Amino acid sequence: MIRERLGKELLFFDGGMGTLLQEKGLAPGELPEMWNLTHPDEIREIHRHYIEAGSDIVLTNTFGANALKFHDETCSLEEVVKAAVDHVKDAIRSAKADRPVYTALDIGPTGKLLKPMGDLDFETAYEAFREVMIWGEKAGADLIHLETMSDTYELKAAVLAAKENTSLPVFATTIYDERGKLLTGADVPSVIAMLEGLRVDALGINCGLGPGQMIPVLEEYLKYSSLPVIVKPNAGLPKQKDGQTYYDVSPEEFAELMHEIARMGASVIGGCCGTTPEHIRAMARRCDDIQVSPPVEKDYTVVSSYGQSVFLGTGSKIIGERINPTGKKRFKQALKEHDLDYILREGIAQQDAGAHILDVNVGLPDIDETAMMREAVQELQSVVNLPLQIDTVDAEAMEAALRIYNGKAMINSVSGKQESMDKVFPLIQKYGGVVVGLTLDEDGIPDTADGRIRIAERIIEEAGKYGIRKKDIVIDALAMTISSEPEGAKVTLETLRRLRDEVGVNSVLGVSNISFGLPARPVVNAAFYTMAMMNGLSAGIINPMSEDMMKAWYAYHALMNLDANCENYIAKYAAAGTGAGGVNAPAAGKASERMTLKDAIVKGLKEDAAAVTKELAVDQEPLDIINRELIPALNQVGDGFEKGTVFLPQLLMSADAAKAAFGVLKDLMDKSGEVQEKKGTVVLATVKGDIHDIGKNIVKVLLENYSFDVIDLGKDVPPEKIVQTVKEKNVRLAGLSALMTTTVVSMEETIRLLRREAPECRIMVGGAVLNQEYADMIGADFYGKDAMQSVHYAQEVL
Amino acid sequence: MNERMKREAIRYLGYGKNTADDRTLMLIDEAFADIGKTAGPKSICRIFDMEQDADGTIRIGNMKIESRSLSRNLKGCTKVVLFGATLGVGVDRIITRASLTDMSRAVVLQACAAAYLEEFCDQKQLELGEELEKENLYLRPRFSPGYGDFDISYQKPLMQMLDCAKNIGLTMTDSCMMTPTKSVTALIGASPMKVRCPVAGCEACGKTDCEYRR
Repeated sequence: MIRERLGKELLFFDGGMGTLLQEKGLAPGELPEMWNLTHPDEIREIHRHYIEAGSDIVLTNTFGANALKFHDETCSLEEVVKAAVDHVKDAIRSAKADRPVYTALDIGPTGKLLKPMGDLDFETAYEAFREVMIWGEKAGADLIHLETMSDTYELKAAVLAAKENTSLPVFATTIYDERGKLLTGADVPSVIAMLEGLRVDALGINCGLGPGQMIPVLEEYLKYSSLPVIVKPNAGLPKQKDGQTYYDVSPEEFAELMHEIARMGASVIGGCCGTTPEHIRAMARRCDDIQVSPPVEKDYTVVSSYGQSVFLGTGSKIIGERINPTGKKRFKQALKEHDLDYILREGIAQQDAGAHILDVNVGLPDIDETAMMREAVQELQSVVNLPLQIDTVDAEAMEAALRIYNGKAMINSVSGKQESMDKVFPLIQKYGGVVVGLTLDEDGIPDTADGRIRIAERIIEEAGKYGIRKKDIVIDALAMTISSEPEGAKVTLETLRRLRDEVGVNSVLGVSNISFGLPARPVVNAAFYTMAMMNGLSAGIINPMSEDMMKAWYAYHALMNLDANCENYIAKYAAAGTGAGGVNAPAAGKASERMTLKDAIVKGLKEDAAAVTKELAVDQEPLDIINRELIPALNQVGDGFEKGTVFLPQLLMSADAAKAAFGVLKDLMDKSGEVQEKKGTVVLATVKGDIHDIGKNIVKVLLENYSFDVIDLGKDVPPEKIVQTVKEKNVRLAGLSALMTTTVVSMEETIRLLRREAPECRIMVGGAVLNQEYADMIGADFYGKDAMQSVHYAQEVL
Repeated sequence: MNERMKREAIRYLGYGKNTADDRTLMLIDEAFADIGKTAGPKSICRIFDMEQDADGTIRIGNMKIESRSLSRNLKGCTKVVLFGATLGVGVDRIITRASLTDMSRAVVLQACAAAYLEEFCDQKQLELGEELEKENLYLRPRFSPGYGDFDISYQKPLMQMLDCAKNIGLTMTDSCMMTPTKSVTALIGASPMKVRCPVAGCEACGKTDCEYRR
């Protein structure tokens, strides 16, 4: 079995396939996998040459054999996969090698980008990989080799498909550019963190670079990986001559560099594009003196997102706590109304404020938490690149989130209760992750540090049974309010210190609990936060929007020499002045004395508009402000836009300023119970198949400015969903957007369906390829040339 | 950032011949800075022999294209460069992000990213042109699927022939939209005759009433 040999001896892969097929006449754009059926002898011959050259592992000619990429009416994909595996097996027999040779089912990417940045569903990708893997195992493959993956999300779908549907070992290699990043931006530690969490058997690098350029990337792999490392370079960087791509690193040169790579510690080596049996032969010969030393378990605690890794253990990391409905009326309302944008804005604001990780809790008794969690995690991944902390007690929601999470997540939480550990640990075992362990058990929360340490140790021990290492556990020392527990802070601090010094495990804390029931809570919170960091707190779950907490964080890192040359501290606070108290310097003068609200809106000054509105509201009624200042200002800007004296960015800046003013007034009206009459509801959607939503978003901002309620269904929206929403909410106006001729087709279909199912609903359309004639042809009621026209139409019909 | 990129961004924002206001200019400067930090521009090209039938049908490898506008563009060419370029998925993310917090920033980013991409493509084409001039081949303006009567569905074989997904991370949705969205695919004709091509870029388009027309 190959598993037993991995990391203990040097194993050789084969080399390039595509480049050899091109030499044998494969045309550009032709599917190489078809050759398994049309040119079986050529394929077998290539395999045999590699085996004779010394390859221990031979890849099947199935790189693009997945239902998303491979379409051919003359044969089934299953035949192709079976033939491909058979060819390797035949070649092994005919080569009569005196050593075991393994057949690796080769799996490349689907060639599509996953949602939300592309249009491929995670589960569709999973399905495409799954079927090929099942056929491959059935045909007799010895392992699954995932390669040339440039998106961790797609890679995760592939690993899960392999793990859940076959019992084969899984190898996974990714393709890096010269910066040492994946095309999707991920760094090496984040790829390793995710793959180790998913428990692949070996991981590494292939394609993209030549052996020399791979060395810096390999260094990172060897630094962070606890698994055997695979290296399969191209024969240099691609060059072109007479329209042909070629690679020019010679077999001898290649062998020399591969020897260096093996000497550094890579234990499974081979070649990719441009390498030939000659390269492999030279490499195998040159590397016969290599003694492989097994990989060493690394001790880093890493969580990752699609684009970056966050290490716990140096300094103290900030986990933003704001995505959580507990005690937040507005957040609860957003959850009930399915207002994902509100949640996303909370995420963006926290990242801008300095959070390193975002806690995501969307649990509310009367919503479908699993669905909401899945959606929130997926959408957050499209706007913030921070790792997420999945925060739920619902195991189903936890699994749903872990499954579609792009990276290695943090999980909040497991406790010392047996039931909790039985539920949570199997999920961590399967999906990977860094899990927060609460120091409480069946008997509650111990009131001594001894008790909490004992629970921490028990959690670590139990996790070990699942193969979950201590580095992937972060213990929550629990903060109890000092208003009812006078010794609470001291116990927590002692627990933190002992977790660091005695147990040697990372720690986490929901810091602000400490002041519950006290006045001026930020004062206590910030002081306690500093003390907790001093006692070893690896990550504080805090509100990064709180100036006091952030001051404590920056100051602590500057003081403890965790901020080289106080750079971060200076960057943050230099502008605020250097003197004591400079940080809080008040803005000068009254805003309303400098300008009118109308001016602020016309000029598009958001902060000023809000400030002036606050001052005006002291002695004026909100509705008067709206009618006397806000609406006339909006009209002036709108008129200017239509006359061609105001342009789109200015129109939107004004819209934003007006929105800020409305926000101030809405808060006041909510408090007094006053209601501003809404003009009506509009459903907006970018139609199915279309992923460009900027035009729709512009229309949304303006409609909201003019007091319409907007239900924004987002982009790539199926006709059925639009119709369903229109019917359910009894909406009288739908706005549809499409960018291209290919997607106007779904616009037309949506209109047809709306006419049939909701004939009373008017339909306005817009988008780059549309014009009046086209809009008439597909049966729309109105064509909006620009966003202001949609506002006028809405005003006319609602 | 150069002046031409800035001018193009202003045109994409609908200013026509008007000058942009100071706040928009400031947003534009910030947007180019953000894009510069976020973009991972990548391109790929391959040169193929091409033939043109009497009826104008173009043949490149196994690909057969019928398009009058492309056929005009490629008249007299013996070779054609298949070209793909993208700014990468990071730019899409910052635009999505801005759409949630500040729509004016989002539209400015959108316009600046488009200008940035065009500049990148121009640069790559210039380098390629210099290479090919050594072989006495002269490049035509690039022509993309979806323009004139060159059907958008050609995007697919074009991207396959370049293996865009693997080489530069450029993929396509079922409806032929490119993802990442700030991407270009094009054909660039190469002719042994050094003729100044009559039309280039924007002006070649048949949509003469376009408000963004140069």
